[in-house]
Amino acid sequence: MEVSFAKEIQKLKLGDGDKFEGEGILAVTKALLQSGVTYVGGYQGSPISHLIDVMVQAAPEMADLGVYVEACTNEASAAAMLGASVMYPARGAVAWKSIVGTNVAADALSNLASPGVMGGALIVLGEDYGEGSSVIQERSHAYAMKSTLWLMDPRPNLPTIVNMVERSFELSEASNTPVMMELRIRACHVQGTFETKDNVAAKVSMKEVLAEPAPHEYERLAHPPVTFGHERKKSGERMQAARGFIAEHELNEVFAGQQRDVGLIVQGGLYNSLMRALNELGLADAEGNSDIPIYVLNVVYPLVPDEILEFASDKRAVLVLEEGQPEYIEQEIGTILRRAGSDAVLAGKDVLPMAGEYKAEVIAEGLGRFLRRHLPQVGNRLEDAAYADEVAVLKAQAADLLKAPVPPRPPNFCTGCPERPFFAALKLTQQEIGPVHYSADIGCHAFATFAPFNFGNSILGYGMSLASNASVASFQEKRPLAVMGDGGFWHNGLLSGVTSRLLNGGDGVLVIMKNGYTSATGTQEVISSPDKDLRLASAEKSATHGETTIEDALKGVGVKWLRTVHTYKVSKMRDTLLDAFKTPFGGLKVIVAEGECQLERQRRIKPIRAKALKNGERVVRQRFGVDEDTCTGDHSCMRLSGCPTLTIKPAADPLKTDPVAYVDNGCVGCGLCGELAHAATLCPSFWRADIVSNPNLLDRLGNWARRTFTGWAGA
Amino acid sequence: MSDNVTRILVAALGGEGGGVLMNWVVSAARRAGHVVQATSVPGVAQRTGSTSYYVEVAPIDAPDTVLGLVPLAGRVDVVVSSELVETARVLAAGYVSPRHTTVVSSTARFFSTNEKIAMGDGRYSKESVRHAVDTMAQASFFLDLGKIAKDNGTFVSATMFGALAACGALPWSVQQSRDVLGDERSRAGFDAAARAVEVIRSGAAEVSAPESAKVLAFAKLPSGLREVMHHGAERCEDYQDVAYRDFFISRSEALIAAIDLSDHRAVHAVTEAVRRLALWMAYEDIARVADLKTRPERFARIRDEVKLEEGQILRVTEYMKPRAEEIADILPASIGKRIMARAQHGGWFPFLGKGRFIRSNGLLGYRLLRLTAALKHIRRRSLRYQEEQSAIEEWLDALLFALDQDLDFAMGLGELPRVRKGYSDTLQRGLRAYDQIMAHIVRPARGAKFHAGVAKRLRDAIGAALADDTHAKLDAVITGTVPEPEIPMLKKVTNV
Repeated sequence: MEVSFAKEIQKLKLGDGDKFEGEGILAVTKALLQSGVTYVGGYQGSPISHLIDVMVQAAPEMADLGVYVEACTNEASAAAMLGASVMYPARGAVAWKSIVGTNVAADALSNLASPGVMGGALIVLGEDYGEGSSVIQERSHAYAMKSTLWLMDPRPNLPTIVNMVERSFELSEASNTPVMMELRIRACHVQGTFETKDNVAAKVSMKEVLAEPAPHEYERLAHPPVTFGHERKKSGERMQAARGFIAEHELNEVFAGQQRDVGLIVQGGLYNSLMRALNELGLADAEGNSDIPIYVLNVVYPLVPDEILEFASDKRAVLVLEEGQPEYIEQEIGTILRRAGSDAVLAGKDVLPMAGEYKAEVIAEGLGRFLRRHLPQVGNRLEDAAYADEVAVLKAQAADLLKAPVPPRPPNFCTGCPERPFFAALKLTQQEIGPVHYSADIGCHAFATFAPFNFGNSILGYGMSLASNASVASFQEKRPLAVMGDGGFWHNGLLSGVTSRLLNGGDGVLVIMKNGYTSATGTQEVISSPDKDLRLASAEKSATHGETTIEDALKGVGVKWLRTVHTYKVSKMRDTLLDAFKTPFGGLKVIVAEGECQLERQRRIKPIRAKALKNGERVVRQRFGVDEDTCTGDHSCMRLSGCPTLTIKPAADPLKTDPVAYVDNGCVGCGLCGELAHAATLCPSFWRADIVSNPNLLDRLGNWARRTFTGWAGA
Repeated sequence: MSDNVTRILVAALGGEGGGVLMNWVVSAARRAGHVVQATSVPGVAQRTGSTSYYVEVAPIDAPDTVLGLVPLAGRVDVVVSSELVETARVLAAGYVSPRHTTVVSSTARFFSTNEKIAMGDGRYSKESVRHAVDTMAQASFFLDLGKIAKDNGTFVSATMFGALAACGALPWSVQQSRDVLGDERSRAGFDAAARAVEVIRSGAAEVSAPESAKVLAFAKLPSGLREVMHHGAERCEDYQDVAYRDFFISRSEALIAAIDLSDHRAVHAVTEAVRRLALWMAYEDIARVADLKTRPERFARIRDEVKLEEGQILRVTEYMKPRAEEIADILPASIGKRIMARAQHGGWFPFLGKGRFIRSNGLLGYRLLRLTAALKHIRRRSLRYQEEQSAIEEWLDALLFALDQDLDFAMGLGELPRVRKGYSDTLQRGLRAYDQIMAHIVRPARGAKFHAGVAKRLRDAIGAALADDTHAKLDAVITGTVPEPEIPMLKKVTNV
């Protein structure tokens, strides 16, 4: 795992009246323990990776408390884990990245929501929407509505978030319904404080085991004919119970304001941005005292019609601030108001943009439009236009002064990443056979869609690359290529892709990047991660080399054409790719591109080297460099590599005007530069330096000989 | 902005420790008695992508302030950035306002992929960024935070923190910030950056080292041209011998004689042409490469670059892959031609076409490279020498003609040899581009006495040749076709 959570684990042990200082998602983790959960699970992914990581690392501490922790292999498995709460009075929580994780979990969620739960069930959704998001922009809200799951969207400060986690379990139990809590990216990562409570041991847990399983109750199976009854309960008694609980415990908040003619209804998660906007417009002070009344929905589904009607009762107009599309909340509020015959005018997406993040600037503009229309005595005095103009001028002036657009800087393969050499080999392959249809996947390897590689014709989801070109193969002269990571392979790819292709006897080339971990989300382990002994034995070598779980699985399901190639052998990789595209063998061809994630490898190597150096043992460090005298500045090496440390610098040669190649000190000596110089016949400018610390007798003898016979060159 | 919240935007690259810095700022604020909130959007950007962190600090007497999670354009009090183009990104997004914003920016560059893969010079203009920030920020501090960090054995997060702490925008003292840091190295970096910022605040401008004046020959020439002549002459002597140096000088002087030295456009054209002439005459063949790779100053540079310490031993390995072409290049023309003929028929040669590792500071490797370097003595009789010289002659001849007829065209033509660079495939592509431009633009233009617009066409072609390595753009310029629209999904509909 990429990050150590030793300190954070201590924070999970804080008790009554202590002060927690830390990240939002870890506050949620603490709140789960304060709620007396029996089990926790999930699948990693920004922005909720830390919840899973800290729980997995804290497994021993959790066991002391009786809490079972499972790192699930995908979100469907995490959602299904909540099945424990259907029949037992056990509270459980799972977490994943949404929308993508919720999509994967959808089947289990439907089957969970239908019978409902006995013990509180909470799903923490890292709502990956807006700036910093890495997924398609959709709303989790739709799942809440279609499966009848309650959806929390708390104000993004730690006390509120923690309180809402605790209330969620109560709400879940009061209404027999699983609850989801959506936390936007910045809320997951927000640094704040809250006053903690003691952790609560669960009534049913690893420490309080039940002697007997639950009795067979057909009513609790998501199976006909009881599913018809479930549907009525979901929209009937469970919904009523939830609304009652929400109202009784005041989960939603009303902040009064002097301008009673209008009101704002806002998703809790947007509250801080709304306050910023009101403050900017001079309609609220810094402490959050607003001139305009605000109704904050910490629970965005279900809505409580009575609360809404009461809030709207004395108002000429209400504005709904709802991020994302379609505007589910606004539509429902419209229905509520209309059915009740309310006179209040409803505004929302008519004054605010339909799509995109609701930052304070956006909200301020919308507020301006709303108030001018419905509260002109205030709206006409607003300076929102002045602010919008100011920002426009700033942007225009910056663009003008900068002269050229700022170059993009998307994420990239890390220095020494073993996936980079594969893509260089693929580039070389395509120089020989021309472009092939490339189905991309989710994971670090998706960085190959950016410069300098620019690979990919489609991305259809995690582990879906092979499945996504099933039909492409039928109308392409050249075999299509699918690339997926080992993360994607185990998440989904083996079943959706490999077995389906084998069942249908289809042609195609699949490359599996075997780097040993789900690296993009923080190097969590998968079933084929090299075990501790293997890692120890590998020392500085790639620990995935001796790990064959993926190959065994492929052979097991019947893959006949299977090669494993170390990614740093660029020429061999190119030849293997050429073979896969040209061989007369007509079935599925799988190349396992093996090379351990550099983040994990470096983490292992650093202490080994430090220890060896300290003990005076011989240590060889490698790094690469470029002779700027012979570099002509055409940068073809960079178009093949894209390594962050292979960069440019101004030429020292006064005659050269173009910058020359240069390897900076971040070089970890992975060897790709040299491999490419050979495989692509690039250029003779690359050199490798082996730096021998604590040289032995043989080294010293050799060095002496070199000095003697070559003069200075022996160094 | 009616409150006294301090709003801090940190711009950094993933993996640089922006999160560490954010947590330091949060700790310092808390210790100073402030309520503080900070957040970030790391995600996959942690893999060297551009990312940002945002901190809001409530006034000490208003702990109940509602703090924002998202920076507001034009409403940021201080921007601290680890990299100059990231500063530009913040500026372009409208966060920097002359009314509120102090900008603390590193001058260090971490080049983006798009800047690196340009075939010529794709670097973003540093000067524009500095000028833009100086114009738009309330106060600005530029210093190389990366270098200060390196000099003090620490990371850029520490120097960013020091510079931020000292820039005057935080509502607590420099010492209160410093107290957060646990280890000596971070403190050293912090102190050095804080001091550097204080020097700037006290009004001392950043001092840049004056360019050292060189004693130059060719005293009568304008300075730029003189310098290029001087370096070019040195290069050719170093490359071959004194006679070759004189050959370069006589060629250059022929160009200089063709222009009026008071016409600065003409001087510029000839200066660039002389620069290209020198680089071209000192073309890289295996003898040249072997020679450059076995020089004492080169090994000294490597020792320096890898930071070789006392007691360590250095071994240097070269990655060479000589092909038949490279061998034929340096051998006498008659043998060279035969080798090339054999190579073109798929003939096999021992030792060639395979990747070789040569230990250039090892006994054998060093001798082998010196031996190869000695081939320079037969260079004048070699196949490539003859080809290059006749190409140079044709170019010079065309250039002289153009200098007389159409100065705009001459300016482009002087730059043309820039497309001939690299080794093996890259060089082949360069030569192809050069030949195409000569055949389709330069020679016809000469015949037609440079009709209007041809100079622009030449410039476009050179730019296109350096724009992509498939020559798609170059071919489009040469054939005069408009490039396809760059929306990949759209098919061009032709009217029938």
